[in-house]
Amino acid sequence: MKRNAKWAIAIIAAALFAFAMPGASIAQQKKLVLWTHWDQNPDFNKWYAEKGKEFAKKSGYEVEVVTIPYQGYEAKYLAAFMAKNSAPDIFMGMTHHWCGQYDFCDKMPVDLEKIYDQNLPKYMAEVGKWKGVRYGIPIEHGNFQQMYINTDMFKKAGLDPDNPPKKFDPEWLAAMKKLTIADAKGGEPTQVGFAIRSKGAPVGITDKFLPFAHAWGARMLSPELDKATGYANSPAMVAALTFFGDLVTKDKVASLAFGNPEDAFGQKRAAVIFRESWYFGWLKKNAPDVNFKVYALPCQTVCPGAGALFPWTDLVYKNSPNKQVAWEFMRFISNAKDDMDHHQLQGILPVWTANLESDYVKSRPDYQSTKAMLAQQVPPTYFHPKSNELATAFGEAVVGVMFGKGQPKALLDEAAAKMDRILKD
Amino acid sequence: MRQWYRIVFPKNYLDRRKRAGFLFVLPALLFFGSVFLLPLAQSVLYSFHKITPGGAREFVGLRLYEKVLTDPTFWRAVGNTVQLLLLSVPTTVVLALAVALGLNRIASLKWRNLWASMYFLPFATSLVAAALIWQWIYEPVYGFLNYALSFVGIAPQKWLQSLAQVLPSIAAVSVWVRIGFDTMIFLAALQSIPGEYYEAADIDGASAWQRLRYITLPMLNAQIIMVVILELIFNFKIFDQVYATTQGGPAGASQTIIMLLYDTAFKFFRFGDASVMAVFVFVTLMVVTLLQWRLLRRPVEY
Repeated sequence: MKRNAKWAIAIIAAALFAFAMPGASIAQQKKLVLWTHWDQNPDFNKWYAEKGKEFAKKSGYEVEVVTIPYQGYEAKYLAAFMAKNSAPDIFMGMTHHWCGQYDFCDKMPVDLEKIYDQNLPKYMAEVGKWKGVRYGIPIEHGNFQQMYINTDMFKKAGLDPDNPPKKFDPEWLAAMKKLTIADAKGGEPTQVGFAIRSKGAPVGITDKFLPFAHAWGARMLSPELDKATGYANSPAMVAALTFFGDLVTKDKVASLAFGNPEDAFGQKRAAVIFRESWYFGWLKKNAPDVNFKVYALPCQTVCPGAGALFPWTDLVYKNSPNKQVAWEFMRFISNAKDDMDHHQLQGILPVWTANLESDYVKSRPDYQSTKAMLAQQVPPTYFHPKSNELATAFGEAVVGVMFGKGQPKALLDEAAAKMDRILKD
Repeated sequence: MRQWYRIVFPKNYLDRRKRAGFLFVLPALLFFGSVFLLPLAQSVLYSFHKITPGGAREFVGLRLYEKVLTDPTFWRAVGNTVQLLLLSVPTTVVLALAVALGLNRIASLKWRNLWASMYFLPFATSLVAAALIWQWIYEPVYGFLNYALSFVGIAPQKWLQSLAQVLPSIAAVSVWVRIGFDTMIFLAALQSIPGEYYEAADIDGASAWQRLRYITLPMLNAQIIMVVILELIFNFKIFDQVYATTQGGPAGASQTIIMLLYDTAFKFFRFGDASVMAVFVFVTLMVVTLLQWRLLRRPVEY
């Protein structure tokens, strides 16, 4: 008994020691771990690992890519960063969250910062920076929505796919109606003109509504990002949301019964969708039989411009024991050729200015539309540390209108008040 | 204190026996302490602090309680959770009891076990996997349910995409998942009721309803309370199905309290606010469980 008890104590003590021991020294000493939640772009993600093999020849470090599902990625990232020893060395994220709301990012070395300041298009210069300091490498040039149209569906509806309506006006609405096929039994339409985002987190719904808001000349927050009332519920915003909600409730050219809007467009159940440059690559891979063209977003009182709610970048974790090597890797891939190879692989627009007039970019269906969007005025940006929470509060009003929970003005007033509370807290 | 000292440094046989006993329960104590007690204490502590993950912690007293408990979004989530409870708990318990009574009447052990396994199977399924299958079943345009309903002339419904139908739809999934577990408990309890009671009731000319009302239900009292409490806890904490199917939508119509807690903590990174919600859930469940235990429990004598 006495001997057994001693053994039991020894085993428990060993287990406790193992439990309490920091794991950093055991794991992955010769591997950089990169986390991404761009699960819709697997080839883009794999490229890091491939490039990591080349990098290993000179540094001894390979790159392991871990794709975190987009749904709920924040929780996974945050838990890892707080735990420290299970965190990645490099991760994809938004600078204003991970470097602004928190202090999880390492500042970019000066020489690398200079490279990006010199080689990024002007409108992207601020992407990856927080309070003037560069932390992240922007990974998507066309990170703004454009209008994808299904040319076959346009032709079938008697519309000219080479000349789609360019304004959010009765003509645009009439075109959407022509493209919508109602269900004979009174159910949901079998085909819609416009693929609308109605499911999922309200923050994503806000993102998809903002081009409408910006086209009406509205903005979600004040220019200083310190106030919502008077902006999120302005008359222009009410008008934009009324138009947007009417697409579902009154004009019935969009359906809430359709799931993912990207799938609906890819399945030829929707004729028009607003999405970013990566969607071209996604369509080529997942729906190669869809014939489409890409145009600049329609305008209204103004043109919506090239803006994004999610300015994705690659960042280096501040507490990573390998952060110097991580920056070495970043430096290793920071050149025009790799930028082109990396993005072309997945069908995404490259980031470097030197690549914007390349043959690949010129051959893309969004070449002209991208230029047209970039020629428009720069829309408002909302790179606030609490942008997720603010956009969620705003998105609740947007989705509320789509589902007929209330009138745009009342719901936007409620949202603006809530956003002001968030900003003050 | 002295007793603890003697457990660590035993002097005689009895002390050594005590130490052995203590070592046997130690893993369970460590597990319970680290997985339940420590997070609970931490939640209570956090609920009085404004926290920046990886950064500062500021004591704010009861301010977060005031903030959360006056937030309409929080009460909407509580309302949704209560609605879900009212839809799922009675349905699950009544159906499970009915199924158990039916299974109990099957004389063949082989067939009884086969049927029981079929009812139990959903319980063994991953909740997320089950939720994704149901998402397809409920799909408004291509879903199986609308397709099946079309044969009886019922127009397509929006199910998870409808403000009115989303909670009943999720409740149905919960019932489907939980019914097998509850059935097993009731079936085991039914089989332990002495047959003599029913024989005596038959001699006295009791009807089937009277046998159920005056013998079966009182004898199942302890199991019914246990099942109701378990269902209450399960449904109050519902997350997986909602997260996988609707993420709280449409328009917040299925946002339950745990969904809101998750978003608050891990999307908006407000750990203090989320801790207030966690404390609210803990206290509510504790009070309701104690009340149920006090009010519904009846002593059973065989």
